[in-house]
Amino acid sequence: MNATPPAEADSPGRALVAPGQTPESVTREITAIPLARPQSRFWWIGFLVAFAGVMVLCGSVAWLLFRGVGVWGINVPVAWGFAIINFVWWIGIGHAGTFISAILLLLHQEWRTSINRFTEAMTLFAVACAGIYPLLHLGRPQFFYWLLPYPDTMGLWPQFRSPLVWDVFAVSTYATVSLVFWYVGLLPDLATMRDRAVGLGRRRLYGLLCLGWRGQGSHWHHYRKVYLLLAGLAAPLVVSVHSIVGMDFAIAILPGWHSALFPPYFVAGAIYSGFSMVLTLIIPLRSVYRLQGMITARHLDLMAKVMMAMGWIVTYGYFCEFFNAWRSGVIFDRYVAVNRVIGPYAGYFWALMLCNVAAPQLLWSARLRRCLPVLFGVALSVNLGMWIERYVIVVTSLHRDFLPSSWGMYHATFWDYSTLLGTLGLFAALLFLFIRFLPMISMTEMRALVTKSDPPTS
Amino acid sequence: MAATAEFPFGAGDWLPGMDRREFLRLMGASLALGGVSGCVRPTGDTLVPYVAAPEEALPGRPKYYATAVPVEGFARGILVETHLGRPTKIEGNPDHPESRGATDAITQAAILDLYDPDRSCTPLRRGEPSTWTAFADEWGRQREIFAGTGGRGLALLTEPTTSPTLLRELEQFRTAFPGSRWYQHTALADYAPDGWQFDYDLGRARVILAIGSDCLFRHPACLRYARSFAKLRRVEQGQVPRSRLYVIESTPTLTGAMADVRLPASPTRLNQILDGITEAMGADSAGEGAVGPAVAVLSPDERSFIRSLARDWRLVAPEVLCVAGDEQGSAIRRWSWALNERGGAVGHTVTRRAAVRSDGDPRSAGGATALAAALRGGEVKALVIVSANPIYTSPEIRDLADSIHRLPFSAHLGSHADETAAVCRWHLPEAHFLETWGDLRGFDGTPSVMQPLIEPLYGGRSALEVLHALHAPTATGNGYDLVRETWRQGDAATEFELRWASALRRGRMEERPAHFGGDGVPGRVPSPSGRPDADRSTDPFVLGAHAPVGMVAEAAALAGKEEGATAGLAAAGWTLVLMPDPNVGDGRGSNNAWLQELPRPLTQLVWDNAALISPAMAEALGIANGDVLALSTDAARVEAAAWIVPGHAPGCVSMALGYGRTRAGFVGTGRGFDAYPLRRGSAGWTVRGLRIARTDRRYPLVTTQRHFTMEGREPVRVVPSDRIAAPPPDPTTTLYSPVPPGAHAWGMSIDLGTCLGCNACVVACQSENNTPVVGKDQVARGREMHWIRIDRYFEGDPAAPRLLHQPVPCMQCENAPCEVVCPVGATVHSSEGLNQMVYNRCVGTRYCSNNCPYKVRRFNFLDYRSPTDSPVNLQKNPDVTVRARGVMEKCTYCVQRINRARIDAAEGNRPIRDGEVRTACQQACPVEAIVFGDLADPSSQVSRRKREPANYSLLGELNTRPRTTYLPKVIHVGFPAA
Repeated sequence: MNATPPAEADSPGRALVAPGQTPESVTREITAIPLARPQSRFWWIGFLVAFAGVMVLCGSVAWLLFRGVGVWGINVPVAWGFAIINFVWWIGIGHAGTFISAILLLLHQEWRTSINRFTEAMTLFAVACAGIYPLLHLGRPQFFYWLLPYPDTMGLWPQFRSPLVWDVFAVSTYATVSLVFWYVGLLPDLATMRDRAVGLGRRRLYGLLCLGWRGQGSHWHHYRKVYLLLAGLAAPLVVSVHSIVGMDFAIAILPGWHSALFPPYFVAGAIYSGFSMVLTLIIPLRSVYRLQGMITARHLDLMAKVMMAMGWIVTYGYFCEFFNAWRSGVIFDRYVAVNRVIGPYAGYFWALMLCNVAAPQLLWSARLRRCLPVLFGVALSVNLGMWIERYVIVVTSLHRDFLPSSWGMYHATFWDYSTLLGTLGLFAALLFLFIRFLPMISMTEMRALVTKSDPPTS
Repeated sequence: MAATAEFPFGAGDWLPGMDRREFLRLMGASLALGGVSGCVRPTGDTLVPYVAAPEEALPGRPKYYATAVPVEGFARGILVETHLGRPTKIEGNPDHPESRGATDAITQAAILDLYDPDRSCTPLRRGEPSTWTAFADEWGRQREIFAGTGGRGLALLTEPTTSPTLLRELEQFRTAFPGSRWYQHTALADYAPDGWQFDYDLGRARVILAIGSDCLFRHPACLRYARSFAKLRRVEQGQVPRSRLYVIESTPTLTGAMADVRLPASPTRLNQILDGITEAMGADSAGEGAVGPAVAVLSPDERSFIRSLARDWRLVAPEVLCVAGDEQGSAIRRWSWALNERGGAVGHTVTRRAAVRSDGDPRSAGGATALAAALRGGEVKALVIVSANPIYTSPEIRDLADSIHRLPFSAHLGSHADETAAVCRWHLPEAHFLETWGDLRGFDGTPSVMQPLIEPLYGGRSALEVLHALHAPTATGNGYDLVRETWRQGDAATEFELRWASALRRGRMEERPAHFGGDGVPGRVPSPSGRPDADRSTDPFVLGAHAPVGMVAEAAALAGKEEGATAGLAAAGWTLVLMPDPNVGDGRGSNNAWLQELPRPLTQLVWDNAALISPAMAEALGIANGDVLALSTDAARVEAAAWIVPGHAPGCVSMALGYGRTRAGFVGTGRGFDAYPLRRGSAGWTVRGLRIARTDRRYPLVTTQRHFTMEGREPVRVVPSDRIAAPPPDPTTTLYSPVPPGAHAWGMSIDLGTCLGCNACVVACQSENNTPVVGKDQVARGREMHWIRIDRYFEGDPAAPRLLHQPVPCMQCENAPCEVVCPVGATVHSSEGLNQMVYNRCVGTRYCSNNCPYKVRRFNFLDYRSPTDSPVNLQKNPDVTVRARGVMEKCTYCVQRINRARIDAAEGNRPIRDGEVRTACQQACPVEAIVFGDLADPSSQVSRRKREPANYSLLGELNTRPRTTYLPKVIHVGFPAA
C-alpha cells in the first residue's frame, strides 16, 4: 500500500504514531520491554512496593476471615461500606478496557490501537480486584456459591429477583469475555515473543501460550473473525455490567438509591473512572518506557476529551438526582438530597463536586489538556472523585433513611483502609507482572497502523 | 468430705493480684504435683437413664413454676419456665395482684443473674477460698464469746424485708443474742417513712397529679399502677374516657412521658409551685380567673399548668389523685395526702395502710447512719451483713471500711464478692432467689412462697439458712423447713398441706389472721414485722384532718420551713437530683449484661450513667454531650460525663445511682460514675449547693439512638383525645384483599396511647429469643441486637418537649422489601404472613437490612455467642436457634410459640384459640399495649384493635403493608366545663 507517513498529518500533535516508526521498529521497541535483562530499577521498586500491598491484602483478608466482617466499620443502618464502594469503584475502572477495545474497534477509531492491550489488561486486573470484595463482604463467605444456580440436593436456587444474583452473572460474564478477548488479541504477539525470546524455557512458555500460532493466512483469517465477533459480544457487556451494578442500588426502596437514573448514570461514571485510570497509568508508563512514539500526545488528547464528555454525563446525573428529589415532593428523597449537601458527610459531597465536576473543566483549554502534569492531576482527581461518589451514594443514603430513630454514622476502620490499600497493591502488582512478561502494546495492530494497512477490523 | 475440704469449689480460680514470680512458683508446683497425682478421682456415681420417667416431665415441653421475685424487698409473683429442670425464662404470674401476668425489664433480666459466671461459688476468708465448714468453726468460737455477753457488740445488717420467715429468724436471732443490734439499710426509697404506706388506684382517678413520682415505672407496685392507669386510657371503638395526667418533675421519666400536661421544674421551684396549687385549688370556681399572690410570682408556664390543673381537678373531684414521689421529702408527702383528702380522694383513689416492709420496725436499731455511729463508737465487735452491699451503697459505711476491716469478726453474705466482701473477713456466697425457698409479701401485703427451680448452681445458701445457722447451728437449717414452719402455725397438718400445695401452685399464700399473732382486725393486714399498728395519736396525717383546707396550708408551710432550713447551705449553687438507675437500680443489677445493654428510657444510654442536664443549662455552661463534669459538694467530689436531655428541668443535674462500681464482676466493674459520695451527709435524693466545673476531658457515652426529632415524618402519630375517631389518611390503595389468604394471618397491634416505654418487652424478647449482648464498643458502632426496640422522640420546644416513644419490632410486611433483595432466599414469606428468616440459608449480604425501612434487622457482625463453656448458655431457649457469625436475624413474632400452639391445637383437634399465642413482648407488657393474634379471625382481639379508626401503619406510604400496626399516642384535652 501507499503508506502515508504520519508526519504528513495536519500537525505533529495530531499524529497517532511518531514519524519514522516502521513495523520493525515497532516490534523491536515493544518486545524489548518484556525481554529486557535485567529489568529496570523502576520495575523492581514498583513491583516490590506493589507486592508489599499484596501482603497487606493477605493480612487483612486473613484477619477478616478470622474475626468476621465486624472488623470493618459497617453497622446498622450502614450495612454496606468499603467493600461495596471499592467493588463498584474497581468494576467502574474495569470498564475502560473493553470500551476502548471493543466499542472503539467497532467504531473504527484507530487511536485505540496503541492503548487497547494495556487497558484490557487493566480491565482484567481491576475486575479481579473488584471480584474479591463481594466475596469478602459476605457474612459467611464460605457459602458464596449459594448465589450460583447449581443443582444442589435440596433443590434450592438463588432468588432471582435479587439484583445481587444478576450481579453474579453480569460480573462473571464480563470477566470471562474480557479475558478471552484479551487473550485472543494476544495470540499473534505471543508468537512474536516466542520467536524473539532468548532461552529455551521462555520460548517454550510463549510457544505454549500462543497456541501454535504460525502466522498462516488461515490463522489470520480466523483470528480476525473471532476478534471481531468477540468485540461484538463484549460491547453490550460494557453497558450491561454497570447497569446491573447500578440496579444493585436502584432496586432498593432506599431514598438516594431508588432511582431509574442509576443504570445509565453508573455506566457513564464507570467509563469516566476507567478513562481516568488509563490516563493515570499511561502517562507515567509512556515516559518510563519511552513509548511517546506510539502513545502520542494525540492519544492523551483524545482520551482527555472522552473523559470530559463522560464527566458531563455524570454531572448531569448529579443534577438529575437533585432535580428528581425536589420534583418528587417526597420528604425522604428531599431529605437525602439536602443531607448530602449540608449533612455530616457534606465534606465528601463537596470533595466529589471538586474532583468530578470542577477539576475536569480545566481540560476545556487545549493548552492545559496537553500539559502532562495537569492532565495527570485531573485524571488522579477523577479517580478519587469516582471513589468518593460511591462513598456518597452508599453511605449518605444509608445513614439517614426513613425513621430518624435508626439514623447512624459510618466510620471506616483500619481494616477497611488496609483492604483497599491491599487491592491497590494487587492491581499494581498484576500490572507490573503484565509489563514484565507480555507486550503491553499490540504489535500486530501497531504494525498494521504503521503500514497503514487496514486494521484487523476490515 | 475430706476431699471437699481439700478442694473447695473455686479453689482452682485465678486469684487477683498475682505477680510473675508468684505465677511461676505456682505453675511449677502445679506441674510437679500434677505429675505425682495424675489420676482422676472416680465420682463413685453411675449414670443411669430413668427407669420410670418423672411424672409430667416431657422433654421438649417446658414446665412452669410459680414463685416470686424480690423487688426492693417486696414480692412480685412470677412463673418460671423450665426445660428439663433448667430455668430459662421468667413470666408474670396472672394470679398475683402485683403482676397480673406482666413483668418489668428488671424481673425479666433476673434469669440471667442466675447463670452469672461471676457469682461467688465458695466462701472466702480474707479473699482466699475456704469452706462452709471452716466458717461454721470460726463462727462457733465467736458464738461462744457472744453467748457469754448476751450478744453485746454483735451487729447484724440486712436490707429492709417483707419476708415473714426472715423476720421470724431475725426475732430468733435476737432471742439468742439479746444484746445484739439489728440494722437495716437500703439505698433506695422508704415507702413508708412515717409508718404509713400509700396505695393508689389510678384506674379510678380521672385527674392525676404526680409530683416527682415515677410510679408507673419505678415502684414496687408499678405494674399494678400501670395496668390500672392504662385501663382508663384504652381507646375502644373510637372512644376513650376523659382523663388527664399532670406531672411535675425535674428529670424526664416515663410517668412524665405519659403526662398530658407536663411541667419540668427544679426541686428548688417545687415549693413555690405547690403553694400556687394550694392557692388555686383553694379558690372557688367563681374566682377562677383571679390570680392570688402565690400564683402571681410563678412563671407563665407554671401559671398555666396550675390554672388548667385546678380547673380539671375541681370538675372531676373526687375522682382525683395526687401522687408524691417516694423520693420527695415527707412534707411534700403530707401535702399530697392533704390535697387528696381535700379533693375527697382518700378512701377512693388513695388508701393508706401499715407498712408492709420492715423499714420502721421498732426492733431495728436504725439504718446506715446508726451503724456508722456504732462503728465509730467502737460498740461493734462483730458485724454480719446479709444480702446488702453497704460499702458501695452507703457513703457513711464506705468511709468506715477500714474499721470494718479491722473488726475481729465480720461476715458478708452476698451473691458476688463485691465491695463489701472485700472489706469483710468472711464472704459467703448467697444463693439466687430461683435456687432457694423463701417467702415475701407484695406491696399490697399479699404473701407469696418462693420455691427453688434448681439446686444452687454455685453452692450458695440463702439468707434464711445462713441466719438460721448463726443462731441455731445444731438445728436443721433447711430453707424449706424454715418457710413451712412459719406458715404452719395454727393449722392442722392436712389443712396446712392443702394450703401449702395451693400456695406453690398459685404463687400466693392464703393468709390467716392467726399468723404472727396479729390483732385480727378485719380489713387490715397486720404489720408483718409484728409491730403494732401506728398509734393514731402520733399519726401525722390526722392533724387537722377535719379541716382539709387548713391541712394543705399547714403542710405547705411545713415544706416552706424545710426549704428554709436547707436554704442556708444552698445559698448558691446548683441542685443535684439523685435517682436509682432505671436498669441497675442501686447497683444490684450491675453485673447483668442485659440490663447494662438495655437503653435507659428517654436517654437511650447503655453501659453507663451520666450527669443529665437540660439543653438550656448545657448552652449556658457550654457543655456538650460527653464532656466530663466535676460535681462537688462540701463533702465530696465526683466526676461524671454530661448528657443533655430535652425536657429536663433547668437549674439542676440528675444522676443515677448504681454505677462506678469497683467490684461488681466482669460485666459491671468500672462502668459509669459513682454518685453515692455526693449523698454523703444527707442520704437524701436531692443535694443542694452543688458546684459544677467542666474538666477538659471527654468520655464516650454510648446511645442506641442518636437522633431525637421526628423530622416531620410522624412515625408516632399524636392525636388529641377528641379526634381519635377520625381515621388517618390512607396513603395507599391496593387491589389485594385487606385480609390476607391462608388459614391464619398473624398480626400485631401496638397501642402508643398506653405504651409506657418501660423496656419490659425488650428484655422479654431478649430472654425468649436468645438475643446476644454485644458490649459497649459494639453498640457504639451501631450493632446492638435487640429485636424490638423502643424509639423515642422529643417533639417541640427542647425545654419542655412532648416525650414520645414507640416500640418497633419487625413489621412483618406483606410487601416486604427485604425479601425481594435476598439473593439466596434466606428471608421468605410464610403462608400465614410471617416474614421468616432462615438462619442457615443466610450468607450475610445485609441487603435486606439496607432495604428495611424500619431497620429492625440485626446482623451478627462478629461472633456474639457466649463461649461454649459459659453457664449463660444454660439460659438459652432450646426452641430458638442461637445465631452464628455472619447471619442476619430479626423478630419472628415468636414463631416458636405459634408452632407450639399449633401442635397443642392439633393434639386437641381444635382451632388455635384467640390469645393462645402470646408473643414474649406481649406477655411482658404491663399495660397490654401489644396485642397479637389472628387477623383472619374477625373477632380476635387484634382484629378488633385494628378496626379502630385511628389504627395506622408505620411508614404506610411506602406500601409495605405491615402486619404490625399502631394506635396513636392520645393526648387528653381538658374537661368541658360542667
